[in-house]
Amino acid sequence: MSGEVQTVEAQVEESRALTLVDCDIHPMPATRDLIDKHLSDRWRNRVERFGTRTPWTPNYPRPVHRGTRADITVHGPGFGVFLDQVQADVLDTYEVDYGVLILWNFYDREERDLCADGSRASNDWLIEDWLEPEPRLLGSMVVPWEYPELAVREIERRAAEPWWAQVYMMGETLEPLGSRKYWPIYEAATAAGLPVATHPGAYELHLGAGWPSYYFEEHVGYTLGVRRQLLSMVSSGLFEAVPGVRIVVAEGGVMWSVSLRWAVDSAAELLGDELGLDRRPSEYLDGHVWFTTQPVEEPDDEKDYARALAHGNLAGRMLFSSDYPHWDFDSPKQALPRCLDEKTRRRIFAGNASDLYNLPRAR
Amino acid sequence: MIDCDVHCAPGSWDALHPYVSSAWRRYIENSSHALTNLAVAYPPMMPTTARPDARASGRPTPPTTYDELKETVLDRSNASHVVLNCLAIYEMYRNPYFQAGMARCLNDWMCAEWLDRDERLRASLVVPWTDAAGAVAEVERVGGDPRFVQVLLPVRSDARWGHKANHALYAAAAERGLAIALHAWGPGHAPTPTGFAATYFEDYLSNATVVQHQLLSFIAEGVFEHTPDLRVVLVECGFTWLPSMLWRMDREWKGVWTEIPWVKERPSHYVRQNMRATIEPAHLGTATADEISELVDMIGHEWLMYASDYPHDHGPSAQRLLDALSADDREAVLAGNARTLYLLNGVETA
Repeated sequence: MSGEVQTVEAQVEESRALTLVDCDIHPMPATRDLIDKHLSDRWRNRVERFGTRTPWTPNYPRPVHRGTRADITVHGPGFGVFLDQVQADVLDTYEVDYGVLILWNFYDREERDLCADGSRASNDWLIEDWLEPEPRLLGSMVVPWEYPELAVREIERRAAEPWWAQVYMMGETLEPLGSRKYWPIYEAATAAGLPVATHPGAYELHLGAGWPSYYFEEHVGYTLGVRRQLLSMVSSGLFEAVPGVRIVVAEGGVMWSVSLRWAVDSAAELLGDELGLDRRPSEYLDGHVWFTTQPVEEPDDEKDYARALAHGNLAGRMLFSSDYPHWDFDSPKQALPRCLDEKTRRRIFAGNASDLYNLPRAR
Repeated sequence: MIDCDVHCAPGSWDALHPYVSSAWRRYIENSSHALTNLAVAYPPMMPTTARPDARASGRPTPPTTYDELKETVLDRSNASHVVLNCLAIYEMYRNPYFQAGMARCLNDWMCAEWLDRDERLRASLVVPWTDAAGAVAEVERVGGDPRFVQVLLPVRSDARWGHKANHALYAAAAERGLAIALHAWGPGHAPTPTGFAATYFEDYLSNATVVQHQLLSFIAEGVFEHTPDLRVVLVECGFTWLPSMLWRMDREWKGVWTEIPWVKERPSHYVRQNMRATIEPAHLGTATADEISELVDMIGHEWLMYASDYPHDHGPSAQRLLDALSADDREAVLAGNARTLYLLNGVETA
């Protein structure tokens, strides 16, 4: 629980035990009925007959091995993987201490009760097929975030369960993530000692510049959706209202936050009385936001990588992730440039995640 | 010095009267159409809308006459050339015929009331931006006038600007030596994936988000392979986001180039060769002088062009950028880069 205050020394001592935490592994279901079968009768019957409005297939075909790593066998129309593959390909191969699973909410855009039941079903599937059989895995709790009172109920109901690293929200919510609508979710997650992860997932309505033509644009553009979400969180005063909230940006890129971090401070200096924030906005980003590494921006000159980390004050807030099983998977053996010092590498590979997720922990 | 972004605007419909046909005059009167100086983008009392000197002069709006421009900008600047941007086309709604009529009106007004009066002046020409064929027709009509250096498009668009629907416009522009300028803001667009911004703060900083989508679009659609001579200038949308965007695009291209096989070089190649940005707003926040120097190294000083963005005020960051440059690099940013881009060699003045 978050009530326990650890000393910095104690945290460092603990994190020494770990060498590698993979903060973004996708337990892609091969077929949707794997999760649908956990729905209550009423909603399962309806989904079988009428399907869902939530997109199940991507808006843009992924022109590389169906979007997954070339050397692995994926299954079914969901291009899914099973636990034994994650164990063999990630946990065993790289001697991962902990892996954090991130599952979409395939019932996100449904009516209230189906969304809630689907979220519960998603969590039940995660526990049964992944978390119970494999002690190295932690889950990201799926919640019906568009119905915050129901999301809070799911968080509170599961707060004592040992499985969860964090609460998960899609990157493309119906309102920007700083909206007061979602504050009860941040409050409940924080009270349960859990960070909130946001992960882009192709539900964007492309209202800013119009729809892209290609996956290339859509996929790189994920980062820009996250930029909008962090702007909203900063300007809404979320970080003052819920001072303990911790946000994890998963698969949203990293280095772009340097520009945002500078821009919010300049804009606040010019327009500060509109927001009425107590502190410089960059301080809120520094204190509350973490980034998983994959797909980290890769400069030609690796020294620029280190420079960008310094410009963005990022070394203490980056969390290694492989993004298994996707095509742009990063191996921990090659993910970080060699010019980074050993201390920084250790923090990114395990130390930052150990502190954030309170690892190692009994599960 | 070359100032790549100075604003001017018609003070009212009366100023445009001689350039508007009688049919459109009736349309304007019947709809009580009013010009607002883009009050949503630039609220009159907002600190960013007008610099203290502009505000003190009692005119916190873009100059509305040449005399006003001369007094507030030209007489106080040592710029050899000033590029005028009039954003009134943003206020002409989406009727493509009305837009075409008003683009014609604004371009004729720009020539007669501004460009004819001072050899230092250059301008962006405006087009009916919802209709590519209409835009081409306007470029064909006035684009041969060398005082027009670029075609202005709103960075916030209904469809992405790189889309093949617009390639004929880019070919027509490049053929006449015109650049394309994507300028901040737009005609009433929600700037974010989730719709309108809740605060001016977010709206203001969203120009830097939307422009990155547009940059991606120009690359992905192969615009610079179709029209290798085309130059695109990103105006009033910032530039500190460039390094991370280049690094990410190049990484992505290595993986999925087969989807866009016409993109033959790495994305960063086209951005460095065919695109440029103006330096206001710089928004450098707490960056130190050393960090600013490192940032400029990542971007490349040749990519940046000086702009005052008069009368808008984006704080001290742009000056801090200039202060961090070596003398040679500063000269390039203040004048050389724009001279090359706009072919302002002093020979082809009208």
